[in-house]
Amino acid sequence: MKAIEKAFGTVRVLNGVNFDVRPGEVHALLGMNGAGKSTLMNILAGAILPDAGTITIDGTPCAFSSPREAKQAGIGLVVQEVDTALFPGLPIYENLAADELADVKHHPIRSLREEKKWAAALLHRVGLSIPPTKLVRDCSLHEKQLIVLAKVLSSNARYIILDEPTAALSEAETKRLFAIIHELKQQGVGFIYISHKLKEVQEIADRLTILRDGRIVYQGAAGSLSLEDIVLHMTGTKQAATAKQARTYGSEIAFAARGIKIDKTSTTVDIYAHRGEIVGIAGLVGAGKTELAESLVAHRKTSGEWQLDGQHYTFSSPYEAIAAGLCLIPEERRKQGLFLPESVQTNLTVRLLSWLSRWQWISRMKETDAANGLVRSLGIHPPSPSTAVRHLSGGNQQKVVIGKWLNTNARVFLFDEPTKGIDVHAKQDVFSIIRTLADEGKTVLYFSSEFRELLEVCDTIYIMVDGRLLARLPAAELTYEQLVYYCSGGEIDGPAGRFRDTVEKSGVVYS
Amino acid sequence: MAQPAVSATPSKKAVLSTLEFLYKHGTLLAILAVIAYFGITQDQFFTYENFSDILRSISIVTLVAIGITFSLIVDGFDLSVGSTVSLATIASAAALVLYRQEIFVTLLVPLLLGIAVGLLNSLLIVKFKLPDLLATLATMYAINGVQLTYTKGFSIYNDMPLPDGGTAPGKFIPSFLFIGQGELFGIPFSVLLMLFVVIAAHLFLTYTKPGRLFYLTGENQEAARLSGIPVNRYRTYAYVISGFFAALGGIVLASRIGTGQVSAGASFLMDGVAAAYIGFSVFGAGKPNVIGTLFGSILMGVLLNGLTMMNVPYYAQDIIKGAILVGALALSHWQKK
Repeated sequence: MKAIEKAFGTVRVLNGVNFDVRPGEVHALLGMNGAGKSTLMNILAGAILPDAGTITIDGTPCAFSSPREAKQAGIGLVVQEVDTALFPGLPIYENLAADELADVKHHPIRSLREEKKWAAALLHRVGLSIPPTKLVRDCSLHEKQLIVLAKVLSSNARYIILDEPTAALSEAETKRLFAIIHELKQQGVGFIYISHKLKEVQEIADRLTILRDGRIVYQGAAGSLSLEDIVLHMTGTKQAATAKQARTYGSEIAFAARGIKIDKTSTTVDIYAHRGEIVGIAGLVGAGKTELAESLVAHRKTSGEWQLDGQHYTFSSPYEAIAAGLCLIPEERRKQGLFLPESVQTNLTVRLLSWLSRWQWISRMKETDAANGLVRSLGIHPPSPSTAVRHLSGGNQQKVVIGKWLNTNARVFLFDEPTKGIDVHAKQDVFSIIRTLADEGKTVLYFSSEFRELLEVCDTIYIMVDGRLLARLPAAELTYEQLVYYCSGGEIDGPAGRFRDTVEKSGVVYS
Repeated sequence: MAQPAVSATPSKKAVLSTLEFLYKHGTLLAILAVIAYFGITQDQFFTYENFSDILRSISIVTLVAIGITFSLIVDGFDLSVGSTVSLATIASAAALVLYRQEIFVTLLVPLLLGIAVGLLNSLLIVKFKLPDLLATLATMYAINGVQLTYTKGFSIYNDMPLPDGGTAPGKFIPSFLFIGQGELFGIPFSVLLMLFVVIAAHLFLTYTKPGRLFYLTGENQEAARLSGIPVNRYRTYAYVISGFFAALGGIVLASRIGTGQVSAGASFLMDGVAAAYIGFSVFGAGKPNVIGTLFGSILMGVLLNGLTMMNVPYYAQDIIKGAILVGALALSHWQKK
């Protein structure tokens, strides 16, 4: 791929990117969210067209106008969500043959026995020894991933894109996947490996390309770059630490939860927060933050013990957790947080209805007053409580979701990715709401993968990796690079650890 | 739908607003058009007797349809209402004729049975998490079987012969027959009952806290749960209310015909569903609502009354009912998009 350029509207996503993969190597593509990795790979896989630049495969220039053409040219894509690429109700061999069946022009006619044999051979190639008649539904995630890989191989892919292949795999499964990658390398298959787990990247990759803001900032052999340097390349110019106002918070523990079970990763978590403290939970996408947040309000099946202001609880439904003073501002705000066809007023007053009604009869006047007050104090636009929330912008919708808890008994606020999909202005509004809440003595847990925002708003930060909280660190002593490093699997050895030293010693400044 | 189309040309806007007007008031216009048509073609149509007849005939459907409306509000569905109507009819007839009970027990037993059916439905749907359509389909069959087994397939009527040779000890008492046949101030009692239930249910759903929470539960169950609404409790209530109103409909039916006919309630299911879905579109509400449901069953009632006058056979009327249901479903689906 040479001099690839792509802009969406006026936003330039890729600026003359050169990228190449040789047969039999693993080339890792790294970068922060928004660096342009997915756009580049989508161009290679034929899903979007580049504005400029050329793609050559084994010496022949190609221009893909559809994913099918890319596939025929030998590009295979193993998507991150493998479930979207498979038919769960069909056996493995039919899944493997699905693409060929869809190809009207030349689909081979095979007997069922031949097809199963063919499928078994393919499965063997990716190191799977399960019967091809097994239903995909009954396969583990790891197996599904390998089935997708086998499917890609069956279409004679010579260059395979792996998008976050280990995001949901256990350590042992990752090892097995790597062994298979090694074997396929020997057979001359080239891999493009996208991942946030940098340690694994170091282990598997032969070469690295690091993208930042649509440009290549590093390209070269993987072995010559330390984990610390990779992080520095990814994050770019070391920013002058923004002078953060020191916040003070209470010394008594207002919220604690012990042994909270996260079903997905089968891990348990202990967490606590002081009165008025803003506690961040930092982790990559897929680290289990949402699962933890939803388990803490008992929206997911969980077990454990909660403590609020010294009182002990066990919750089995959000109804109980909310009654005790917890609340969750969920990640999927349209799906989980809002009643879209209803008015702003109805959405804002859900939790206030008991106060606004007498003998169960809602006082319209009181309700409008309450809603008006919230709309004004939150700066919701348009400032009319009768607008349907589905007509509001993302930022204003988020204010509504937060607003419904403001005048209630909620004492512990859980924010799950609260800045997702909202503009810069609304972000600042959300931050100031959060700070105000904390200043009023409420406790805030802030779950996010936006590390800069975590550093900006939080007092303390937990590092979350693979469903575990690894450390509880004061935000003031953390740098952005450290946070990225820790969350990508870097070892944590105290605030004066190795990474910190290298940063200061090397003093690299990237333009 | 209400979103202003910024780039739309004036003519497009006009088309859009016409469509919107039709959507909002289409159902009312349809009712008026149907009334006008029958009024012109049928001499007997515009009489007090006929109108009172229409209202009397829709009173049972409306009661059943209000129950269905509750299950629709929590985003559920209750197919068992027709069987519950039959069950309640048989239960009240049996209480009167076979057991010589007075009015109190005669009303209490079917209503309790209706509530029990609702509890059974919510056990299956809320607790065991079965799909609502399938679960209530199953209870629909089971309950129909129960009332058939109990009566061995025979109707219950005054002075009916008993297997042991004698005749039934009790009979339909006047106070019970008053419910379906009596009049107050010249208005059939069943119509007054229907209007009372409509108004009460409307006020409850629109102006009270539990009414609001019913709607929120149905609109977004996950958001409702995360807002601390005990969604399972409200879903249970909805099915219980649905069973209760179906049983009430069954009582009125028994009183109206003065016998306990087996499987007499079956036809009320689809009529009620049609009424509730037509109700989605009345005044452009876009969601299940009691006033809309009332208008829905008025439309059905007027249409069937007029068609009967035109000597359209009852089996052909089903074709028209089906067509109306399709139209109502399409309209409510279109609104959702």
